Amino acid sequence: MKRRTFLAGLAAVPVAGCGLSGTSNTSSSASGQVTGEITFQTWSLKPKYTDYVNGVVDAFQKQHQGTTVKWVDQPADGYLAKVMADASAGSLPDVINVPPDLSFPLAKAGQLVDLDESLKDARPEYLENAWQAFEIPGRGGCYGFPWYLNTGPIFYNKALFQQAGLDPDKPPTNFKELEATALKLAEKKVAILGQTPSIADFGLYGVKLFDNDKFTFNEPKGVEFVETYKRMYDAGALIPEALTQNYTGAGAKFMAQQTAMNAGSAYDLGKFKTDAPSLYANIGITTPITNTGSANMFLHGVSVPKSSKNQATALAFGRFLTSAENQVAFAKLASIFPSTSKGGDDPYFTTEDGTDEARVRVAAAKQLKTAVNYTPVQFSDQMREALLQQLADAMLGKKSPKQALDDAVAECNRLLK
Amino acid sequence: MTHRPYTPWLFLAPGLAICLLFVIFPFFNMIVLAFTDASALGGGQFTGVDNFVRMAGDPKFWAAARNSLLYMVGVVPPLVLLPLLIAMLAQKVVPGIGIFRTAFFTPVIASTVVVGLIWTWLLDSRGLVNSVVEALGGTRIGFLTDSTLLLISSMVVTVWRGLGYYMVIYLAALANVPKDLHEAAMVDGAGPVRRFWSVTVPSLRPTMVLVAALSAVNGFRVFSEIYLLSGGTGGPGGASTTLVMLIQSVGRGLTGEVGYASALSVVLFVILLGLLLITLKLNRREDQL
Repeated sequence: MKRRTFLAGLAAVPVAGCGLSGTSNTSSSASGQVTGEITFQTWSLKPKYTDYVNGVVDAFQKQHQGTTVKWVDQPADGYLAKVMADASAGSLPDVINVPPDLSFPLAKAGQLVDLDESLKDARPEYLENAWQAFEIPGRGGCYGFPWYLNTGPIFYNKALFQQAGLDPDKPPTNFKELEATALKLAEKKVAILGQTPSIADFGLYGVKLFDNDKFTFNEPKGVEFVETYKRMYDAGALIPEALTQNYTGAGAKFMAQQTAMNAGSAYDLGKFKTDAPSLYANIGITTPITNTGSANMFLHGVSVPKSSKNQATALAFGRFLTSAENQVAFAKLASIFPSTSKGGDDPYFTTEDGTDEARVRVAAAKQLKTAVNYTPVQFSDQMREALLQQLADAMLGKKSPKQALDDAVAECNRLLK
Repeated sequence: MTHRPYTPWLFLAPGLAICLLFVIFPFFNMIVLAFTDASALGGGQFTGVDNFVRMAGDPKFWAAARNSLLYMVGVVPPLVLLPLLIAMLAQKVVPGIGIFRTAFFTPVIASTVVVGLIWTWLLDSRGLVNSVVEALGGTRIGFLTDSTLLLISSMVVTVWRGLGYYMVIYLAALANVPKDLHEAAMVDGAGPVRRFWSVTVPSLRPTMVLVAALSAVNGFRVFSEIYLLSGGTGGPGGASTTLVMLIQSVGRGLTGEVGYASALSVVLFVILLGLLLITLKLNRREDQL
């Protein structure tokens, strides 16, 4: 699942303009005075969450007299290009909204402040799995305040299950059952899935993704997983577009009732209600399909670049923004979950009120306690594309699952260097 | 009035500055980067011709170059002929011709993304075209899921989008075809078909060469159509990826291989320059005949 799309439709880059100059990593003090002006950049939060963010900014400025936070919201489209251009020029905003896979290359290039070093007492305030998501594996250090999290149930279309003669109240709970269900649905010309597996799906299957600084998802279990998908694809259990589809595209196919199952989030439920009422009337909600017992988790964070001239203020603001209180308030607005160790105790996340939304929310909050961000932080966009292409070749029979995975791993390891 | 030699330069300065900053500098920067292993975040080291050696052995490069070449070959003939025929119809002064001309020009000014979405909806496996095919008793066609059909579908979109633009060029050229040539041909008993081949086509030959050159260059560096119809993936297994898509794919993001992407861009530039030089030579030969 593509984590960049899970909030409010948070939904790529020309070559010219990158110079040979490199970037400067001038470091101001992280322990200086909290004062002065900083720029805070978010990822597509306007206009839906304008009031919320302005409220947080006002509260911070009131708490720290003499500070000014200039909020800049960038649209989802072109966000990566903007971060890339700023990073290349060494002019990143003081506080920047980034998911782990974006923070990783910046941290690896030495452009981000290490929170483990600058704010030694911050770690306990956050969920351990969320904090770890912003670490560089094998090197230590944390390069982003975990901000909002999400995980989700699996949605399925009860009407399509019934149409294929399946019990709509018995959805598959593991990958073996998924294949059996998929093959039965395919007999009735109903496709179950709208995309080939993502790297996180390999993780959910129990495949070892990364070990000793190398990708390892071509291990026998990985091959077994792709063989499962190949059988489903050959039977017609995946739509033809699955070979080129990302998470957003697969979601659209599910909404159009062209597929019977899709991974989603509490946010999606609201979308079904307003944008696909006939689907909503038949929606089934079940736990994520996993062989590991842990669901997948997606998260966003905020990082402070070393180039910030006002690091102390930037760090204070990042911590303030991601505090339990502020995250809970945000979560209540945006169908997301706090990454703080305390925020999840709020009754909003533990008490059901009889609505589907509350049921999904409570289940997801519970799920988050053991959830894992399966996608390795090293897994870049180019790697995602390489995996998608190799899986397509495997599904089409141009390569064996083993060969396709070997090629995907070889390309990912090459890109890792 | 006093003539100050720097006055023209003052007027030229803003345009020149923009050109220098956004065209000339990035162009030379790209050439420099092509000989390095630069990434989005690192300055990169000089690596000589390593990127070009890698390119020569990169099957993705050859596949993309082949797709771009096929694309060019596929779109040039219809983009040279169809707009000419439409322009001949559109030049007639009949009631409502404005609507006809506008209809053909609309795709040119329509947003590429909107155009891509509309065609995706039309050609999807459950789209309008496949619904019609199914209703007529046929089986669904994988316009967007078969790499060859995806290329052809994208060519159709390119031709559809280009019709209006090249029609306008032909309309301007047609207005310059001397009427007396047509009248003389008519007096000699030439019918409409004969007049088209013996009067219109020879008069428009330089324009046709221009249209062929423009559509060939645009065809070879196609990006939007394939990108949008394939959802940014270049089709199943990336088999429909074109050269510009490959450059975008290699160079994008914080982990992009900017050095290699620049080397690919240099090769693309050389190919396009070659194409334009050939056209220029052809045009000169036409003038000499």
